[in-house]
Amino acid sequence: MLSRIDQSPLYRVANPRSIVFFGGSNKIESMGTNILMSLLGMGFDGPVFPVHPKEKNVQGLTAYASVLDLPVTPDLAVMVLPTASVNPTMEQCGRMGIRQVVVVSGGFKEVGGEGPTLEYEMVEICRRHGITLIGPNCLGVANPHHKLNTTFLPFEGRPGFIGLASQSGSFITQMFNYMARHHLGFSTAFSVGNSACIDIVDCLDYLGACPHTRVITLYIEGLTRGRAFVETARAISPQKPIVALYVGGSQAGRKAGSSHTGAMAGPDRLYDGIFRQAGIIRASNLTELFDFAWVLGTQPKPRSRGVVLQTHSGGPGAVAADALGRTGLTLPDLSVQTLEALQPYVPHTGSVANPVDLTFSKNPMDFFSAIPKVLLEDKNVAMLMIYFLIPLPVIRRALSQMGVAPEHLESEADQMVAEYARAFSQLHLQARKPMVGYTWRGLEERFAQLLMENGVPLFPEPERAARALAALVRYHEWRKGINADSVTR
Amino acid sequence: MNQEINMPAPGKILAEAIDRGQSALSEFQSKRLLACYGVPVTREALAKDAGQAMEIARQIGGPVALKACSALLMHKSERSLVMLNLKSDDEVRRAYEKLASAAGFELEGVLVQQMIDGHRELMAGLMRDSQFGPCVMLGLGGVLTEAMDDAVMRMAPVNEDDVADMMAGLRCKDILGAFRGQSPAEVLTLVAVLTGLGRIGLEHESVAEIDINPLIISPKGRIVAVDALVVLKKGKNHAVTH
Repeated sequence: MLSRIDQSPLYRVANPRSIVFFGGSNKIESMGTNILMSLLGMGFDGPVFPVHPKEKNVQGLTAYASVLDLPVTPDLAVMVLPTASVNPTMEQCGRMGIRQVVVVSGGFKEVGGEGPTLEYEMVEICRRHGITLIGPNCLGVANPHHKLNTTFLPFEGRPGFIGLASQSGSFITQMFNYMARHHLGFSTAFSVGNSACIDIVDCLDYLGACPHTRVITLYIEGLTRGRAFVETARAISPQKPIVALYVGGSQAGRKAGSSHTGAMAGPDRLYDGIFRQAGIIRASNLTELFDFAWVLGTQPKPRSRGVVLQTHSGGPGAVAADALGRTGLTLPDLSVQTLEALQPYVPHTGSVANPVDLTFSKNPMDFFSAIPKVLLEDKNVAMLMIYFLIPLPVIRRALSQMGVAPEHLESEADQMVAEYARAFSQLHLQARKPMVGYTWRGLEERFAQLLMENGVPLFPEPERAARALAALVRYHEWRKGINADSVTR
Repeated sequence: MNQEINMPAPGKILAEAIDRGQSALSEFQSKRLLACYGVPVTREALAKDAGQAMEIARQIGGPVALKACSALLMHKSERSLVMLNLKSDDEVRRAYEKLASAAGFELEGVLVQQMIDGHRELMAGLMRDSQFGPCVMLGLGGVLTEAMDDAVMRMAPVNEDDVADMMAGLRCKDILGAFRGQSPAEVLTLVAVLTGLGRIGLEHESVAEIDINPLIISPKGRIVAVDALVVLKKGKNHAVTH
């Protein structure tokens, strides 16, 4: 495992001081132009040098006819060139002293014909010049902390704590919007493409040492350095959680062997076991990959499997309790002290069993602050899951009945919701126990947006909240297990 | 009967089989290899005639099973080359004669084998993956193996924690604990079986795959490999008969 991020060959790939760009022009229909515009649109801090055979000016920047004409040697080259031009350009970059290259261009190993030979030649050129190569056939890297984006879509949202190494470039660039809507962000995201030189294991190693990365996500369709992958992951996962989505063969990969073992050894079953050995939490789909990362990257270690469920409606509590039970989490009884402390807040219609079903709150603010605070202090409770229903129309209606003038309804209702969100966010910030919310109202609503902005994981269904909490528990149980071993061995 | 005294080295068992051009070890050879790696196997010996079969059966004591034994036989039960629960000299003799003539080709002998009491059947195995190398498997065994498809895998080598996690990952995990008045399976033996399989994979490139099925849990929790198959890597001179 890397002790410092700048020891990684990927350091100047993800943190270049200057970039030479091949394949950008003033034609918007070209892929290269789009990527160059993504890069410039993000406000990359250093100089960007477009190289173009004819144009003198590309996207408002001085263009150079050849890389050999550049005034300085840039840290990184990005190539979005026709397949045939890549290797000659690589050779020039090597001679120029450029040591990091992203090749977006395709037409290599992933296609037949001359592709594999060209890729082999590319690797040879890189080896000769000591070039760290990402790709080919990839989208490169997004490091929002460094205002770097070599992918197709413009970056949205903010720099975050989720590292990603992906065998699909789409899951970097096409997730910007998804992340932004949940107030999440990538720390650094790598698309590895054909992995001719740098592969997912190298990226994993980098993200393990990356200080912005609190949790690592992986998208895997198949590994080529299986044993190195397990060793690298095993070294990182005690310090930093790793979540992986593997797709690649549930049945199709099964070999017709001479033995039952051979017949039953599908890749899905194998990856399942490998992930467990490496302490990697497996997600079953892309949504879950980021759900798990969200909770693992924001929530503290739970002390047990016990969850307290806070609701003000029976059905939403019952389905959430059912979902928690299915994941193996428990709903412990509350202590006598908790029951006493809850007394002043609970109306006679409410239930203080777990789930805590308040039916309604005597003072609405209690639901967001005083009540969850009491619940979190219970020694039987390791985590809190809470149901939110904050319908703006109802708040406006109530305010109107209370005599608020129609022209002030909107702003007063907004303010009220903001206060609820602030109170809960404050508690979330101070609590030393994991807390997640769920709701069936839109996550685009103001209350939800404010919570997420403050780092509270909020899910549009209790099943997702429950599975994410279970993933958090699974990770920390695994971690505790290996720590116990290191003492006894 | 004197396996413990006269245990050949695992390398020798494999080298001899490869020299003979075998594509797999016979059940008898397979179990001798596994026993070298700490896998508990049935008490058994090869008989070359009916008299020997009866003598071995008497030494084992109690009911025995007779199985046609040859490296060319990978799936005996499907071909009715197994006879179970033989109690008398007469039953053993008749079973021997039937198996010796039914096989239809030259046998290594007829395996006379201790019957193992127990309804809880597991399977354990080894396979090789091009990226992860030797990998071990634990699952529900017996005739329902593939129908239930309940198995977990790990990359070799595995340790005690891996095995505990493997056991917990099976849908049928309850049969490994105290189950219907029977004792829990001996965990340490299961660890020995899976670490042993992993070691074979790591130490012997010539072994392609291994099946232990069934791996029976006795009512007292003892674990015994009742049938086993070691498949060898395809070499230049391996036998073509299947």
